[in-house]
Amino acid sequence: MTPTALVADDEPLLRQRLIAHLAHAWPELTVVAEARNGREAVELFEAHEPQVVFLDVHMPGMTGIEAARCMAHRTRIVFVTAYEQYAVQAFEQGAIDYLVKPFDETRLADTVQRLRERLEPAAPTKAADALGAPLEMVLDRLAAEVRQRAAPQSWLQWIKASVGTTVRLIPVDQVIYLRSDEKYTLVVWEGGEALIRKTIRELADELDPQRYVQIHRSVIVNLARVSHVARGLNETADVHLSGRTETLPVSRSYLHLFRQM
Amino acid sequence: MNRKQDAARASDPTYWRRCLAALTGASVGWAVGLAITIAVVLSPTFIPPWPVLFGRTLFIAIVCLLAYTAAGQWRGSPIPRWMAQVLAVALAGPLATLFVYVLSTGGNLQEMFGNPARVMGIGLIGGSALVLGLIITLGALYRERDAQANAQALQFALERETLQRQTADAKLAVLQSQIEPHFLFNTLANVQALVEGGSPRAAPVLASLIAYLRAAMPQLQDGAPTLGREEQLVRAYLDLMHMRMPDRLHYAIEVEPALRNLTLPPMTLLTLVENAVRHGIDPSEAGGHIEVGARREVGSVRLWVADSGRGIDETKPPGIGLANLRERLAATFGGRATLTLHAVEPHGVRAEIEVADENPGS
Repeated sequence: MTPTALVADDEPLLRQRLIAHLAHAWPELTVVAEARNGREAVELFEAHEPQVVFLDVHMPGMTGIEAARCMAHRTRIVFVTAYEQYAVQAFEQGAIDYLVKPFDETRLADTVQRLRERLEPAAPTKAADALGAPLEMVLDRLAAEVRQRAAPQSWLQWIKASVGTTVRLIPVDQVIYLRSDEKYTLVVWEGGEALIRKTIRELADELDPQRYVQIHRSVIVNLARVSHVARGLNETADVHLSGRTETLPVSRSYLHLFRQM
Repeated sequence: MNRKQDAARASDPTYWRRCLAALTGASVGWAVGLAITIAVVLSPTFIPPWPVLFGRTLFIAIVCLLAYTAAGQWRGSPIPRWMAQVLAVALAGPLATLFVYVLSTGGNLQEMFGNPARVMGIGLIGGSALVLGLIITLGALYRERDAQANAQALQFALERETLQRQTADAKLAVLQSQIEPHFLFNTLANVQALVEGGSPRAAPVLASLIAYLRAAMPQLQDGAPTLGREEQLVRAYLDLMHMRMPDRLHYAIEVEPALRNLTLPPMTLLTLVENAVRHGIDPSEAGGHIEVGARREVGSVRLWVADSGRGIDETKPPGIGLANLRERLAATFGGRATLTLHAVEPHGVRAEIEVADENPGS
């Protein structure tokens, strides 16, 4: 039975180059499928069950690392990556094979040699199992690292607001305050004012509560824009804003927020 | 209340320590020199022996010096410092003279003022202490001001140098953020694939890479980056990215030729185009279209980069690239330039820069 392989890379020239070099370094190998992203890689893997999978780490949609988790223990994976220092370290620790783009022929020949050894029918299955445990740990670590680099936090960072005929994307840093206005919410930011459909309650849940504080049933204020808080009669207060004339009410139940200030 | 604070200040041990620290060898030398000079000049007209005369003048000079120093260290005086010092010396000279003579006559004021020789002595010593003391005080104040001016000039030079270094660092940061190793190696891997395959596209793609690298680098030295050059840079970059993802990335660039001489901070359009690729096209399996344009409008010039990629992730914080670009635009155009982002239907982002014309009237 001839060995089979799947090659996944979103850049077609790099996919073709790897296939061309594999044909030279490992003539018996048949590349049964080519994938352009992680999702395709998993689908084609299920359809063809190749013995070897070459996975680009950085692919649109599902990354190579996420795809590898779906195939773990059912095939031999080689990661292909371009100058991902953090990833290379993780691969070395986990004894997972990898190629750094642009790779040269001798490096590919080493990889092919190792893959051939592991595909030998005489090779003890325990060796494969021994590789199994660290594989999952390494994949977890890689996935965590990729996630961290992609999204350090999940608070709302942009507010979409219709202004004239377009939908403005407003960075939340520029927002001064938000105030509910019947069905809509009024966004007041450095560049103007606009109405959005999200309610104050939704916004209070989505915005970072350390920086955007609800001070009234209908008002959220960006703390960075508050100049001072003036106490009023009867357990109420008014928030004054830097560089603006209007004030915002603080209702009794939110007054405790400013007790220590 | 104020007096209490003054008293507190005078009894503050750091005040006296500061006074002592301010008494330099040079100032004591000047005081001793002044005492010797007056004693030598006056000794022919005086009855007491020279050492006695010198003792008196030395005492007076030291009192003047202490008064000068104490007034100089007194913070919070209601009058300017130099005035306080001049007044202190003007008072200390004659008063110390009187004190010396009161001491020498055992406190007998009648004998002191009854003796015409003594009255003349008081007048001579007191007068010369006043005149010489004031001259030296003014000289010392003048030198101090000179030293302060020098120190300030040094401080300015230091600040200027720091500023220059910061500017250089910022330029370097632009370069480093620009030619990312990840981008370079991936692009080179693609070029290598073309070369190995003997593709006729290898040469034009390599030309694009060279154009990109050249455009991205000499901007460090050149003082006047323009929209025309930015257009070339963006075209080279998009050409390279199109080679890497031919199915997923398509682009069009429409810059009105008349606008090519417009001054623009370096990497203005490239920052927006890179963002469109990185956050719009690259994460999307289907990819999309990027449109770059510049158009003259009434009273302003509008630049835009629009993509039909994945669209903005509302929980992803704005990158440092956009913040830097805002700063560079503000540095070049002041308040005349605005950068806004818009959502595109059904998905994608449109970044617009509007530069208002300079008002010739203002």
